Amino acid sequence: MPSRATAGLASAATAEALTASCCRLLPVDAESRLFFRLRTRIARALCLTMLSTARLRLSLVVLLSAMFWGSLYGIFVEAFTFLEALHAEVISLLFNAFFSSLMVMLVFSTGILLYGGMYCSPESRLLMTLPAREEAIFSHKFQEAVWFSSWGFILLGSPMLVAYGVVRGSPWTYFALLLPFMMSFVVIPATVGGICCMAMVAWLPRLRLHALSITLGVACVGAIWLAWSTLSSVRADSMSAAWFEQTFSRLAITEQKLFPSWWLSSGLLEAARPGATRQEAWAALAEAVKFLALLVANGMLLQLVAGWLARRAYRLGFSQLASEVPARRRRRMGWFDEMLVNAGSAAGRPLRLLVVKDIRLFRRDISQWSQFLIFFGLLGLYFWNVRSFNYNNAYASMIGFLNLAVVGLILSTFTTRFVFPMISLEGRRFWILGLLPVHRDHIVWSKFLFSFLGGVLPCCVLVLLSDVMLGLPKRAILVHEICCVVLCMGLSGIAVGLGARMPDLREVSPSKISSGFGGTLSLVVSSLFIMAVVVVAALPSHLFLASHALGPGTLRGVLSWVGSGQGIAASLVVVVALGAVATALPMWLGLRAFRRLEP
Amino acid sequence: MIEFDHVTRTYGPKTAVSDLSLAIPRGELFALLGPNGAGKTTTIKMLVGLLQPSRGAVRVSGFDLVRDPRNAHLHIGYVPDEPCLYDKLTGREFLWFIADMFGMPRHLAAERIGAEIEHFELGEFADDLAESYSLGMKQRLVFAASLLHSPDVLVLDEPMVGLDPRSVRIVKDLLAARTREGMTVFMSTHTLAMAEEMADRVGIMVRGRLRFLGTVAELREQMAIETTSLEQLYLELTGPQAGRQQGA
Repeated sequence: MPSRATAGLASAATAEALTASCCRLLPVDAESRLFFRLRTRIARALCLTMLSTARLRLSLVVLLSAMFWGSLYGIFVEAFTFLEALHAEVISLLFNAFFSSLMVMLVFSTGILLYGGMYCSPESRLLMTLPAREEAIFSHKFQEAVWFSSWGFILLGSPMLVAYGVVRGSPWTYFALLLPFMMSFVVIPATVGGICCMAMVAWLPRLRLHALSITLGVACVGAIWLAWSTLSSVRADSMSAAWFEQTFSRLAITEQKLFPSWWLSSGLLEAARPGATRQEAWAALAEAVKFLALLVANGMLLQLVAGWLARRAYRLGFSQLASEVPARRRRRMGWFDEMLVNAGSAAGRPLRLLVVKDIRLFRRDISQWSQFLIFFGLLGLYFWNVRSFNYNNAYASMIGFLNLAVVGLILSTFTTRFVFPMISLEGRRFWILGLLPVHRDHIVWSKFLFSFLGGVLPCCVLVLLSDVMLGLPKRAILVHEICCVVLCMGLSGIAVGLGARMPDLREVSPSKISSGFGGTLSLVVSSLFIMAVVVVAALPSHLFLASHALGPGTLRGVLSWVGSGQGIAASLVVVVALGAVATALPMWLGLRAFRRLEP
Repeated sequence: MIEFDHVTRTYGPKTAVSDLSLAIPRGELFALLGPNGAGKTTTIKMLVGLLQPSRGAVRVSGFDLVRDPRNAHLHIGYVPDEPCLYDKLTGREFLWFIADMFGMPRHLAAERIGAEIEHFELGEFADDLAESYSLGMKQRLVFAASLLHSPDVLVLDEPMVGLDPRSVRIVKDLLAARTREGMTVFMSTHTLAMAEEMADRVGIMVRGRLRFLGTVAELREQMAIETTSLEQLYLELTGPQAGRQQGA
């Protein structure tokens, strides 16, 4: 009897003919069309899924985006009207500063997104085993990364540019050219980010982290220095001619003619120029189109370079990356964990063990603590500079409360994004936790403690910093700190309680869990809670300061009582009550649901 | 059909695959066995072009995986240990994407997609989004996709993980039929019974080296121990004693 190998040899010619007849390498254009179809299908399926399963979230996103866009548009119309009247030359500088900052951010954000998409995603592992060109895979992932990295630019930039055109009375061609200008500009820094990413992964694999850290560090220090020197130098005479001059000279660095941001800025300013005569209008338009062509040509050239590099470096880099041996983890923080576990009674030990486990997971998840650090760091930087402007007492108090609301809103995004999915993620490990000799309530309470203790310290420090910089009196600081603690407690209760009440035990991705109905509801409830706390606390304080500023007897009846010391004390009682409800109600719902949970 | 030519692959100071030389002819089903960390997955990743060898060359149908990966991939079908699909594509759309990527003519692609859907019993859920599939369903879809273009070489990394007994039978029958038609199968597995039942030859890797290459009968002969079980032979060859000898 012949072996299978022999039988196989006999039919070799047939198999070869089969493969040769049914397969071929795709030409470039067919490959591009195929990837385009793939993205279109995925986008369509995503939209349909959202329309059918996440209507609340979609509606909120559309509504809030529209509100955000409208508010920005209004602010920019006011700002451009003011600048047109007083300091028309500032606009060019502002455009250059804005676009050059965005340019730097786009280089980094696209580079980082491409790193994840091209080297670490399951999709890239699939595509690398198919007969696809390396440059086609790069281009496919590049378009995805550009979309993710530049939507913020479109959302921020479009109201500004539309407002400028409206204030300036620009011709329709300006508005028609806005999108082509923005898109052609985005391609340049994004491609530079992609080129840097591929080159670093392929040829500097070991230096990759250091190179990125050093570059990011230098960029951050530069940005901080620029912001610091601009805001801190002339505190006393801000918005004066001297202030403007000094600011101009500092920002002049962004007006380099070799920067794509300058091409964009100049092109837009030319396009927006309303010509007195027909000839002047044509000349301005021609000049604008020249800058657009410059952006497009450079974008295309960089794309060619990136494609060439992808052919040479992508597979090499992919393979190089797999060669790296992860560093052995050392227990640097082991003493801290031990201390936490042993601090307290033996009865509370299981709860502390669960909290310490979550702290360890947080510490080892770079995406969590880095976002936490970046957002709170930026807030800290802003609060540190808040005294650069001189406010009177009423303004300072209002800004203090607004800062408190901002701290709360940022904390709520973290509790929704990272704390809300915690119970759902525990569902995947329920075979461990469910068999441990701990009460199920302990699991839920441990999440609450983790969230509350992790949030309360940085938030209180930030609020204190803001108030000190604003020069607020001690009594106002105390009110703000009480509100901050209440916010932290309530936000933790909402995220943990709703997370336990509406868990998604099948999902492994925390981002998908938080973007579902439960996560969206948690975010909405958190925002309403923050608004309620801040409004209830701010109103009496504001009336109190107003009555002092305007003189006794200005406020009458209920307003007079609300604006008194008693009113402030009563508002604090209401705030604490709101916090208690926001904590207790969702936690009660969550605990009850979690006790009955059948994973 | 498949050729490993003095292939070495290192991860930093660690050598995952050391000087592997192996040729697998057309129509052979080859099973690569070995304990965890032996270098099986690294070998497979080099065979499908996900990793480049530190030294040596890997060729499929005469095409070097480093120098000419696209042409080599035309001849390869790959079923990874963790199936990767697009969550927001249906099974049928995924199969069309793969068929288009291999440049198959539309009429032939439609015919093959229909046949594979029927063969792997995917009809019930072929038009559902892949995000709703179980692991077994995903694995069957990946099998169907890997066979669409009738590859000369089919590479399987732990192919039976997640499959129910009926699907396992389908896959076994299919592998037997395709190898009879001339397809070469390179399979990494921990399921010794399957290797014993299906493989023309087995290779046993220990610490990056190919410790044995031949048929199961040859392995029994070489080990010269009183047993007929492949499991016992495997344990003898890969046990701690063998590891120490290897180290020495």
